[in-house]
Parts: sequence; C-alpha cells; structure tokens
Amino acid sequence: MSTATAAPASPSAPEAASARRRRKVRERLPIYLAISPFYLLFAVFGLFPILFSIVLSFTDWDGMGDISFVGLAQYQFLLSDGRFWNAVGNTFIIWFLSTIPMLFFALVIAFLLHQNIRFTKVYRVAFFLPNVTSMVAMAIVFGSVFSDTFGLVNSALTALGLGSIPWLSTSWGIKVTIAIMVIWRFTGYNAIIYLAGLQSIPTDLYDAAKVDGANLRQVFTRVTVPMMRPIILFTVITSTIGGLSLFTEPQVLLGNSGGAGEAGMTIVLYQYNQAFTQFDFGYGSAIAWALFLIAAVFAIINWRLVSGRSDAADRTPRRKEARR
Amino acid sequence: MPTVPDHGPPRRTGLSRGVADALTRRPSRRSLLRGGAAALGAGALAPSLAACGSDPSISEDPDELVLWYWNRSASPILLDQAAEQIPGTSKHLRADVIGTSFDTKLRTSLAGNAYIPDITYINSNNALYFTNEDLFLDLGELGADAVRGDYFDWKWNLGMTPKGRFCFFPLDIGPTGYFFRQDVFEEAGLPTDPAEVGAAIATWESWIELGTELKGATGSFLMNDAQAVYEGFLNSSPERYFDTDDTPLYEKPDSAVRQAWDTAVAAIQAGITARIPRDRGTDQNAAWSSGRTAGQIGAAWWTQVLEESAPDTGGLWRIADQPVRAGNSGGSFAALPHTCKDPEAALAFVMWINSPENQAIAYDDVQLFPSTPGSFDSPKMAYDGDFYGDQNPLDFFSAAAETVPSSFISTWETVIGGSFSLEITNVETSGKDPEQAWDDAVAQAAKVLTKRGVEA
Repeated sequence: MSTATAAPASPSAPEAASARRRRKVRERLPIYLAISPFYLLFAVFGLFPILFSIVLSFTDWDGMGDISFVGLAQYQFLLSDGRFWNAVGNTFIIWFLSTIPMLFFALVIAFLLHQNIRFTKVYRVAFFLPNVTSMVAMAIVFGSVFSDTFGLVNSALTALGLGSIPWLSTSWGIKVTIAIMVIWRFTGYNAIIYLAGLQSIPTDLYDAAKVDGANLRQVFTRVTVPMMRPIILFTVITSTIGGLSLFTEPQVLLGNSGGAGEAGMTIVLYQYNQAFTQFDFGYGSAIAWALFLIAAVFAIINWRLVSGRSDAADRTPRRKEARR
Repeated sequence: MPTVPDHGPPRRTGLSRGVADALTRRPSRRSLLRGGAAALGAGALAPSLAACGSDPSISEDPDELVLWYWNRSASPILLDQAAEQIPGTSKHLRADVIGTSFDTKLRTSLAGNAYIPDITYINSNNALYFTNEDLFLDLGELGADAVRGDYFDWKWNLGMTPKGRFCFFPLDIGPTGYFFRQDVFEEAGLPTDPAEVGAAIATWESWIELGTELKGATGSFLMNDAQAVYEGFLNSSPERYFDTDDTPLYEKPDSAVRQAWDTAVAAIQAGITARIPRDRGTDQNAAWSSGRTAGQIGAAWWTQVLEESAPDTGGLWRIADQPVRAGNSGGSFAALPHTCKDPEAALAFVMWINSPENQAIAYDDVQLFPSTPGSFDSPKMAYDGDFYGDQNPLDFFSAAAETVPSSFISTWETVIGGSFSLEITNVETSGKDPEQAWDDAVAQAAKVLTKRGVEA
C-alpha cells in the first residue's frame, strides 16, 4: 500500500522541482531579457574579437587577403623583436614614473578634501575635471607647454637661469612628459575614489586619535592609510592595468611612431601600430596576448605584495595582544 | 585635403583595454543603442538575403551605386549632381562619408565580403592594396585607357599594380616645391625672387650651401627636420625602395634611398635643420611663424596648410623649384571593388568626376589639385589670396607637376619606410652615428621583410 502511494510520489518530486524551476525561469525571463542586450553585444563586440585574436596570433593576415597559419612564428619573432622589448621597457618606466606620484598625490588630496574646509565641492570638481577633458585638446596643450624651443616650461626654466630641457626630443624627457600627462589626468580620479574610502572610515577612530594627541601627520599615517589599504590595493591594480595599456597619451602627443628614438612607444601603441598602420594583424594579436600575460603576471605580483603586507599588518596587533 | 584621413582617435581590440581607457572611451549609450539597432537590423536582413543566396549588399536599389570617400576628397557640388543621375548612365550615386580609419573599414568590408561599396576612394597609400589586387577590377579592361592622355603620366602609372593591371584611377596630386620666407632670405642677403632662388638651389649640394649661408647670416634654418629632407629627395626620385618585382634596391651602393639618406645627413651635419621632428607639429608651426625656420619642401596641398598654421606670415612666403626636379607627395585614387554592381556605370562616374573640367570645379570647391593638365585652362582654376605675394602657387605647381618623374611605390614601403625615418631622426636629434643608424635601419627593414615573407 504504502509503496503504491510512494511509487508515483518519487517521480513526481523531481517533476515538481523542475516545474518549479521552469516557473522560476519564466518568472525571471523579463529580467534575463532586460540584461541580455549587454551580453549579446558583449558576445559580438567583446568576446568574439578576444577569442578571434587568439586565433589570429597564430596566423599571418593583412586584414583582407587569405589567412595563413604560421604556428608560433609570430611569438618567436616577438621574442627577438627589439622594438617590442623597447616598448615593454618604456611602458614600465612610464608606469613607474606616473603611478607612484599619482597615487601619493591622490591620497594627500583626498585627505585634505576630507577635512572641514570651505568649498570642498568646488575643489572636488576641479580635481576631477582633468579626467573628463578631451585628450586631443590636452595633447595640444601639453605639446605647447613642454615644447623644446617655444614651450612655457622651458621659458620659465630659462627665466630662472636653469637652462632649457629638451622635453620632447630626448628619451627621458618624453617619458617624463607622458608620465606628467597621466598624473595630471588621473590624480583627481583616484582622489575621488580615495575620498569615498575616507568617508567610510568611522569618525570615532579619528576622535580617538585626537584624544590621544595625534597630529595631522600621525592621523594620516597611523589611521587613514591602514584603513584605506583595500582601496589602495584597488587603485594600484587599476593603475597597473591602466599603465600597462597606456596608449592615448603617447599617441596624441607623439603620433603613431612614438616620438624620437621610439622613446614614447608603449606596448599598446606598438600593437596598434603593427595591426592598424602596418596591417599585420597576426603580429598585432601576438603583441596583445603578450601584453595580457605581462599584465596577468603583474596583477598577481601586485596582489601578493599589497595583500601580503596587509596580512602582516593584521598579524602584528594580534601578536601584541597575545603577548599581553 | 588629400592627405591621410586617419587622424582620429583609433580603436583597438577590447582585450587589452585598461581602466584608463574604459573610463574615457567607453562607448556612449547612444552609440551602443545604434550598435544594437544595427545588429537587430542585420539580423532582420539576414534571412531575406539568405533566401536570395547573395552576400549582404550595401544597397538594395539596383540603380544606386555607393561611393566611399572622406571629407574634402570630392566636391560636394559634383556629388550632388551624381546623386540625381550619373551623366551618361541610368544610375545614381549614394556617397557615404567614411570618417577615420578609412583603410581599416574598407579592409573589413572586403575581408567580410559584405557591404562593399561599388566605388571607393583610396589615399596615396594605394600600394598597400597591391597584394590583394584581385579584389579590384582592372579599369584598363573596362576602357579607362581612352582618357589616359588627359592625365599626368606619372600619376597614371602610380595607379598600375606590379602585375600591370590599372586598378587605381587618378584623383588629385601633390607636386612639391621649396617654400621659403622671402623676408628672411632678404635679411640674409640671399636671392629672393622665386626663379633666382630656384636657380641657386638647382642641386642638393647648392641647396645645403645656401642653407649654410642663411644660417650664418640670420641663424634661421632651411628646414625643420631631416626626415623632410630625406622624403623631399626620395619623392622626387624615379627610383625608390623597390623595383616592380619587390626586390629591395636600397642596399645597392648609390641607390636613391642611400643618396636621400646621405643628403639628409649632410643637411644635419651642416646644421641647417632645426631638429624639430615631424611629431611636434606645434613646434614646427611656431618655427615657421617666427622665421626661426625659413622654409619647407611641401606639396601643392601644403599651401592651405601653411596659410592655416602660420596666418600671420601672409605675403612673406614664396615657392621655388626644389633641387633637381619636383616630386610628388600625397594625392588619391578611385578604385572599383570586385563586387561592383555595375562596373561600366561606376567607371563612367569616376571618369566624369575626374574629367579636366570637373577637376577644375573640385579645385574651386575643395582645393583638390588636379591630375589633369587640361584643368589649368579653366577659368575656375584661380588663386585669389596674397599669402604668396605676387606669386600664383597654381602657376608654380602646375608647372612643377610636369617635371615629376614616374616611379614605383611598393606595398612594402609602408612596412620598412618607418625604419629609415626613425633612424634619420635619431641621427638628427640624438647625434647617433650616421653609419650605425643606416646599418640599423637596413637590418630592421630586412628583419621585417623576412617576417612578412618578402625576400630581402
């Protein structure tokens, strides 16, 4: 008896479950539909090109004729291509020259903006403005300001009796100028991110620090920076990715050739140059994937460095407590 | 202007897109919507086209021919006429302005075999298409030779592929001359009359000598950068980097490339270039405006560029014959892709819009410099500015165009030309040893050619 009633019940349970699932899917269909345009467009304009560029990196293709497979030849050429390694070196130097001052200034600016001073909103807008300024206009301004012969900076240096610096025709001058463009453009952006982080720090920590007699510098290094660690990690990673894929600044400032001696040739500019001015799509794709590998390695190193340090920081107070 | 239309912010694949980039160049909502609409539209079209069994076509109207061009590469007046009816045919024209990245877009449509225009304009980099010349119709077979006599011979030859097919029909040209600041030359006690200056700089050696005198007397430079000297020489040479079999010529002693190199190095060593490389346009303009640099080898289209970039120097500029003979820089072509709906009508359009009369109209309208000597007889061909004082640049360049030599531009010039201009700039700006720089340029060129499968 009991088996007779149980027998039909056991297949009906999964049936009911699947019916429930189907109903759920049907209920959520409008939601899936609503978010589908992004995924469809992403599949067509994002995912497919990414996957296709893997295929292309094993081929020789000029963008319109026949595609011929060449195996690893593009990657082999890449390893022996001095221009590529020059671009890798340039990218890292510019990244180093720009990221560290940029994040430092951003943190200081955010800290100052967080204080109870007048017109903070005006300052916030002012610091964010460079980020939304047209890059092309910016490149013209920077080109004039840092011009070797007619530039504002060199006029000022000469007036001070310091002698002019060939900003745009020497290897270091070009890199410093690009780094300054990056700093100018992204300091405000990072400052706004830091400011959001600062606002999430409970005020009692500051009050406690004040009660303990901490001065502004101590509050900054002992309270603000440790509390901001996850946000700093985030900006370091985004700046690394941004720095490694640096393209617009050198391209608009120096053109597709990367300036004198290719001193401003970055990895992405070289990739663009090979794919879209030389129409060597196979090699362009290989460069793109080489950059992907470099960026992945750097993301891991970055993450290990910053999170490793924060682990250590977390551990220290615990150890102190244990000692107590 | 007939120079490269590709100056806008370039696109790149999404895979290496960083945060910096995503922040600024994220597609706007409107462009996403447009993309979505296009995708939906394409989706809706697909079944109906599949039913016909044909490739996605750029125009469903059998009487409509589609032209791809870029701003100021054709006269709107003439395009409007052709939009009504292409003279001598029953077809009409739809002209689509293709913005930046013209070559990439054209290649994409050819590679995808979809939405290919019936007629396309191609810039002076037409040699880039030689390796895929089968994608374009031989206009000679269609009867273009009937009007060959109307055009400058050297320009017509530039439209020939290495296999001898005539795929690229002449639009405008860019004959070159030596632009100079008359006031600075006068101050230096040099000849100031264009004809006298031309006679004084008949050879590259005498040109450099005159530059040395100018430098000594006023401190002004003859040219802004050595790359312009190098290109000015090579653009006026019958021999260039390769012969028609794509065999490199530059390694041969006394090749034209080597002579151009040596001339540029001599100019650097004489100190007559201002050492302001091409990529620093703002500085170059400032040098010309201030008279710090008193000249430039420029093409006919440079007359307008100069008027716009150094407006305060109106009346001070003149143009003299450059050393040896005039060269050519820039100038575009028209081509018919293999899918062209009606090649006869398309060629009729190309021949009509580029007839001597209509090129005169195009000059009057958008300052395209005609590739047909006959255009200069038209009253439409008039220059009414006084930027060049009493000299008429039209008279100068129409005469210069007659002396431009025939030459062959290879597909592979774009691939290796950069190595030579990079190295000559290194010699100029960082004092690199010229022989070392030459060896590096040749080695780099050989490396890239081997990679691209060309025997070096």
